[in-house]
Amino acid sequence: MKSPVNRFAVNNGLCVSASLKKLAGILFLVSLFIFSWQSQAAEKIPRLNGKPDFSGIWQTTSAADYDLEPHSARIDAPPGPGVVEGGEIPYKPEALAKRKQNFDNRFKADPRLKGWTLGVPRGIYYPEPFQIFQRARDLTLVHQFGHSVRTIHTNNTDHPQDPNDWWLGDSRGKWDGDTLVVDVKHFNDETWLDRSGNYHSDALHVVERWTLLDANTIEYTATIEDEKVFVRPWNISVILHRHREKNFQLVEDYRFTLDYDQYYPYPAERAPKAQTK
Amino acid sequence: MQKKLITPKILSVLTLTSLLALPAFADYEQWEAERATLPKFEREKTVYRVESGKWNGPRLADGQPDVQGQWSNTISNHTNFTDPQGATPGETPRTPLGPRETRAPSRVVDPADGQIPYQPWARALQQEYLKNFNDPVKPEYVEPLARCAPGGPSKSFMWHGYEIRQFPGYLVFLFDSGSRIIHLYKKADKNKKGEQNNKPHLDQKIRLWNGDSRGYWEGNTLYVEVKNNNSKSRFGRTGEFSGTDTIVKERFIFDHKAGRYLYSATYTDPSVFTQPWTLEIPARRVENFAEDGWNNQLGIANHKGKELILEPYEQICTENNGGFGGGSIIGAGNSSPIL
Repeated sequence: MKSPVNRFAVNNGLCVSASLKKLAGILFLVSLFIFSWQSQAAEKIPRLNGKPDFSGIWQTTSAADYDLEPHSARIDAPPGPGVVEGGEIPYKPEALAKRKQNFDNRFKADPRLKGWTLGVPRGIYYPEPFQIFQRARDLTLVHQFGHSVRTIHTNNTDHPQDPNDWWLGDSRGKWDGDTLVVDVKHFNDETWLDRSGNYHSDALHVVERWTLLDANTIEYTATIEDEKVFVRPWNISVILHRHREKNFQLVEDYRFTLDYDQYYPYPAERAPKAQTK
Repeated sequence: MQKKLITPKILSVLTLTSLLALPAFADYEQWEAERATLPKFEREKTVYRVESGKWNGPRLADGQPDVQGQWSNTISNHTNFTDPQGATPGETPRTPLGPRETRAPSRVVDPADGQIPYQPWARALQQEYLKNFNDPVKPEYVEPLARCAPGGPSKSFMWHGYEIRQFPGYLVFLFDSGSRIIHLYKKADKNKKGEQNNKPHLDQKIRLWNGDSRGYWEGNTLYVEVKNNNSKSRFGRTGEFSGTDTIVKERFIFDHKAGRYLYSATYTDPSVFTQPWTLEIPARRVENFAEDGWNNQLGIANHKGKELILEPYEQICTENNGGFGGGSIIGAGNSSPIL
């Protein structure tokens, strides 16, 4: 087989044409390289049934849960640049009084303090790990905090027509290319959005977008809408990192049991002396 | 904050009841009509035996036998641990129970007398819990599940229906009260150090309601070792408990064709028992039985396709509950029970 150089040599009577061919060849090689590089980047994210595979244990390093909005350091929160697009949550004027009341009472009123389900999207950027288990039909999210379990259905089903108000809402996901878009609604009004007292009503509607930036990083964005509380939808964005520590695992945390677990299996004074350590 | 006095079970029933009154979406009426013809999930008086052997059903991509779906126990709930279809503590049966042999056997299959081999002090304590179940004048007399605490390794299988989901390297149980993640490894890797699928148990200083589970498949049987037990749950409303040194060895033996499995668990704890002992709980799939708000709590998914898809709803106990189940509490997150 002749090399390209030899072929050009054969055709050296047509210099312009040869140069064009050479240029085309180089362009072809460059485009091949670029295509290959892009493919490699795409191949770097794990896949399951052709879709991005989010399986793993994830956690944010952001200060989002302390306060979604930009904030200076304060007694109960490290400083944070905020994760709200535009820097401010667009509360309705009449909703601000409750926001302020929540902030003032946050050391007692935050549902987190009872170990209760954090809700959506708070559970995602709460500073504790959660694990995603993925199948073609759904994603199962187990949050270490409270050991809450959320299912994101990805089997082309829709929200129930006569739903309850759920703590974690009802989640239906669809794929937009390599991004999982999840529509979540039918919430109750009992969870907060962060520990500074940002809140929502039972009209909360969240649209999440989950994208793997690489094998170990998720870009998580959410559009938050609530006609009873906000004047318009607003966006947040956080990065989630994969836990890669050796033997890392969730450790169950049913912290709502801490109030009474000292009585079981028997109070300490009932333990036989031989067993007391 | 307002407390809700609706249990997940009631929520499930309410949801399905209200769905019935709706105009049809897609084939809902047809699906509902099909479900209405399904038989009731009945309690059985005998334990369906399944032996360990080959798995003859479908497998998942990672080779695990596919046992995903909704299951429930076939005998009874945890009301009475060693006489499962016997009397509820502190209550007189509406109709006389009749001779013991007319009811399902004790869940305790070893030792042969069907009783947990307690040390004397522990038996006395169990009897005290039993005696005070219906009038709990001390916090420890309140059965922990009534406070929405997880049921522990075995009791979770004799409460409501539950779901099994499987993933590469994991089998996950989703119960009404809590969930359990079983970390799977290949039996051949059991004694290899540093294998990806052979993660060691958590440090034993960590103690958990549902323990820390490691397991492997062999044929039709899932073998699981549960350590890190806090042993704070009770086996039954009859007051049986385990101790703080408990190790549980479980076997889940599946019969694909029958849609059943037999669960057995051997408890070892020298601090409480005089010898290891073993319990059994038979279970079967619930999808082909009528929705009953107890064993089958599934709803009908809303979609435009032709096939019936069943789906579970969120199961959250503490936040929704005012306590339930006899001798329970009112209110959640209280530092002491309201008696």
